[in-house]
Amino acid sequence: MIAYLGRRFSALIIILFGSSFILYNLAAVSGDPTEALRGSTDPKARQQLYALIRQLHLNVPPPTRYFLWLKGLLGVFTGHATFGVTRENIPVTSLLSQAIPTTIRLILMATIIAIVLGIAFGIVSALRQYSRFDYAMTFVAFLMYSLPIFWIAVLLKQYLAISFNNFLANPVIAPSWIIVASVVSGIFWAALISGTRRKVQITFLVAALASAIVLIVLSLTKWFAHPGLGPILVCAMGIGIAYFVTFLSTGFGNKPAFKSALAMPIIGLVLYYPVNYFFKHFAGLLTILVMALVTVLIAILVARFFAKVDRGPVIRTSIITGLLVGLIIIIDRLMQAFVPYFNTDAVNGRPIPTISQSNSLLPPGNFWFGLLDTLFHLFLPTIALTLISFAGYVRYSRGTLLEVLNQDYIRTARAKGLTERTVVMRHAFRNTLIPLTTIIVVDFAAIIGGAIITERVFAWQGMGTLFNKAITDLDLNLLMGVFFVTSTLAVLANLAADLLYSALDPRIRVVGK
Amino acid sequence: MKARLTARSVVALSSVIAIAITGAVAVPAHAARSTVIIEESNTFTSLNSGTPDNNITINSDISYMTNMGLWHYDNNTNIVTNPVLGSIKVTKNTPTDFEVTYKINPGRVWSDGAPITAADLLLTHVLTSSAYSVKAGLGDPSNPDVTPAFNSGFYTGVYDQHVVGIPTLSADGMSMTVKYNAQIPDYVLNGPSTPFPVHALELAAAGKKSLPSVAEANAATAQFVKDVTSYNTASLKKMGALYTTGYDMTTVDASTNPLLLVSNGAYQVASVDVNQAKLVLNPKYNSGPATSGITTIVMKQGIADGAPSAQALANKDVDAYQGQPTADTIAQIKAIKGVTLVTPSSFAYEHIELRVASQDGKAYNGPFAASGGAKAAALRKAFLLAYPRADIVTKLIKPINPDAEVLGSTWTLPGSPGYSDVAANNGSAAYNAGTQAERTAAALKLVQQYYPTAGKSTPVKVNLLWGSPGNARRTSEAALIIAEEAKAGFAVTAPATKGWGGKLTDSAYDAHFFIFDQTAVPQDAQACGTFKTGAGSNYTGYSNKKVDDACTQLQAKTLPASTVHRLQIVAERQLNTDAFFLGIFQNPNVTAWDSAIQGIKPAPLSPTLVWNFWEWHF
Repeated sequence: MIAYLGRRFSALIIILFGSSFILYNLAAVSGDPTEALRGSTDPKARQQLYALIRQLHLNVPPPTRYFLWLKGLLGVFTGHATFGVTRENIPVTSLLSQAIPTTIRLILMATIIAIVLGIAFGIVSALRQYSRFDYAMTFVAFLMYSLPIFWIAVLLKQYLAISFNNFLANPVIAPSWIIVASVVSGIFWAALISGTRRKVQITFLVAALASAIVLIVLSLTKWFAHPGLGPILVCAMGIGIAYFVTFLSTGFGNKPAFKSALAMPIIGLVLYYPVNYFFKHFAGLLTILVMALVTVLIAILVARFFAKVDRGPVIRTSIITGLLVGLIIIIDRLMQAFVPYFNTDAVNGRPIPTISQSNSLLPPGNFWFGLLDTLFHLFLPTIALTLISFAGYVRYSRGTLLEVLNQDYIRTARAKGLTERTVVMRHAFRNTLIPLTTIIVVDFAAIIGGAIITERVFAWQGMGTLFNKAITDLDLNLLMGVFFVTSTLAVLANLAADLLYSALDPRIRVVGK
Repeated sequence: MKARLTARSVVALSSVIAIAITGAVAVPAHAARSTVIIEESNTFTSLNSGTPDNNITINSDISYMTNMGLWHYDNNTNIVTNPVLGSIKVTKNTPTDFEVTYKINPGRVWSDGAPITAADLLLTHVLTSSAYSVKAGLGDPSNPDVTPAFNSGFYTGVYDQHVVGIPTLSADGMSMTVKYNAQIPDYVLNGPSTPFPVHALELAAAGKKSLPSVAEANAATAQFVKDVTSYNTASLKKMGALYTTGYDMTTVDASTNPLLLVSNGAYQVASVDVNQAKLVLNPKYNSGPATSGITTIVMKQGIADGAPSAQALANKDVDAYQGQPTADTIAQIKAIKGVTLVTPSSFAYEHIELRVASQDGKAYNGPFAASGGAKAAALRKAFLLAYPRADIVTKLIKPINPDAEVLGSTWTLPGSPGYSDVAANNGSAAYNAGTQAERTAAALKLVQQYYPTAGKSTPVKVNLLWGSPGNARRTSEAALIIAEEAKAGFAVTAPATKGWGGKLTDSAYDAHFFIFDQTAVPQDAQACGTFKTGAGSNYTGYSNKKVDDACTQLQAKTLPASTVHRLQIVAERQLNTDAFFLGIFQNPNVTAWDSAIQGIKPAPLSPTLVWNFWEWHF
């Protein structure tokens, strides 16, 4: 193991320095940072040109100049390591430390959503292999794969930002939209549920009708102008969640689990007003964390009350349900903050922005405004990134699950008489996650590299924007700083993925030779 | 019972009314807007845009709005002085002794309350005079290998060449007199313009981190004057280091040294974060014209030009935009309701120039070399005649700016007084006469004198340099040029070249087309830097005594406008006869803003969008 790690780390160092040398030289010859000054007719331009040449060491040939940069980095041995400064005299490290959290904020949520949705749809797709739903999912996945993100971004901005903000001025949904949305929803659920022709027809009708009713109510009450759920809806949604979580987690056969899951939304209803009192007077991240902790404690107590033996799955079910109900209560609180947020001068009736990552004109000190602001700024880029990366996960998880389902131990499990839910969730799904883990780890490393186009189009100042700026300004110090962080993480993530794989899958061993 | 019910209902009713009233009060009435949000494509990097590395649009826009000077350019490139702050007067005017006196009006204050005095103009001398920098032991700015302590972008200009000694301050400290050894033209443009809070510089360089009292500020100002006049190297070096890098930052917040934020403009920097710079009114402002109702100006930064900017405008994420978009984006902006779009010409112009002599020490024997005599002259003329300028303007520029025209002069640009006169008489008509087909036919005849096969083949090889492969407009230009020049017998090789800026003096290339960016309008219109023998942007090796003479006269002293135009005509006629340089078009400054904002009038020179920010209102 140690020999293996040693070998990997020495390879890592060679890769890092070799590739940084190549990149530095390629970037240095790819353009001329003095261009703008050559075209200036200002008599002082020549002196400014000298200053630039001095500053960027342009009179040193690039292969030699690389070592000037490397010298700063190797200062790590004397305690004076530096990535240098940008062309504008800003330390590269300070820009990196600003950009990395931004990028993580931008991409983390999109990646999580893409993973959750991708795996969920992939599994359903695999279970309904060669059904209409499977074909539709395959089609959608490949469509998303092939869409350029800048184009998706333009469409999203046009319809979900500009048009939606206009719509909010008078949020009445046109009948044509209600019909289209209901039919689409009907088709979606009918395809998802599948089964006999009659069952499909009934599912379609029920789903379409339900969607139409919801949309009509939303339109008539102008819900979008003053959204909110209230305790009753929170509880109703919580009961839905309880059903869903129990179904996936233990199955309805486990009565204590079902009962304790159902208890969570009821407790949520009872605690709705006290919780909102705390939200009002002690708004902040800490309050939310404390409440999450309290929720977990309550969930454990409830589970212990209902279950006398085999408490593990029951506790798990009630904790998941409880946290999801808590999330709904937070969403409800955010909706309460929406109207005052909407009416601030900074938002001015247009809550969905097309650019930037925050709005500093908002009145400071309001936690809910801050949270809403972050979420609205995340809204479009998250959708765009989810749309394009979700396709990959659908295909991977579908393929892996199908492979796993054909294994002997699945047949054995079925032969034992286990329910289909247990076979899929416990025996197949867990093994599906092993290869997916490695993909996810490598994906996370790529995240730090930033989504160059997405960040540029949505004006987020993350790693991708820095990289783009470094390339266009031929700012080699900045470029190398971004590159060094990104490539180190990429190499380390590959290593982590390999180690993780061997830890998860006992058939695989890492060896030193 | 009944009475109790009534009492209850009264209480209930009154509480309902109370709730209704408070509810009605709580709904914020949308008052007239007072915030303008400007789109910026690059990001803020410094409070000081005077150093070469931080001279980028967003920095200079912020500097312009937070610092009020003694003059500015208006949208017709006229110099407008600022009588509120002070005055500029010529106080001695002989051929060898020329003095200009700058007077600051009493009572003007910095944002920290300290009085503005003439000493605040004195820093300009330190930033501009190479002789001073050398004498004070701060490094020789004219030496390419030396970084001066005050690494400003102002050395080697007219002021630097002609200033004598250190400017003198009056006894009351409110006037400063600058002495020159010649009657320099454009003394307003070339002299000190915007005061710099030298007390804050002095204090911050000494490590102070809080705003001074007025007495402390006055003492610091006096100390600064002493440091400058006594050539206090140690102290000046500290201030130089601060000036050069101390103002560079990407965020401004409560932890920023307030001394670095002292300014005298209508607005002051309130905060800068990764997304936006926020400027708010300076309550102590009394250095210039009053603002018209905008209380906050926000620069949203790092927004990509093109569709993202257009959509940000449509979604009202930004109120004003200026950029270099494609015709598609312009159509997109035009389709937005309630947005005003204008596409005026800027003072950055594309041009074609032909190499006439070597500049890199290697022998140059290209087709256009002046040493080639009559044959080379004919080929130059032919090349310029066949150069499809009208096509370029019609196909590439008019879709953006319908009023664009082919340039008739580069010594004075369209819209300037005297342009039509100069363009009509400078011999440029020869390159505009007839249609392009006729001009190309004339060019072919010239080439055929020396290459009879021209027309059927392309015997004259021309290496054309242009840059930036990513620049779609230039790519199209190159294609048009290659096609049209081929008809006149020229085989033009024109690959997009990265790093073209450094190759402008390379003898391997016979011609270049690129943009010249004019930064001011002095008497010689910055043209002499291009055409005078050996001048800074003379990349063709051109040298002609008539042109040099005209330049010498234009740069010697202030002349009446008619004389200036006469000299321009003389020089340009010579240039057109020698046939090696033609202007093509001016870059359009595409500007769009929310029509609710009044008073935006984009100017051709920097700061193009914000030059009259104090006139803006809703």
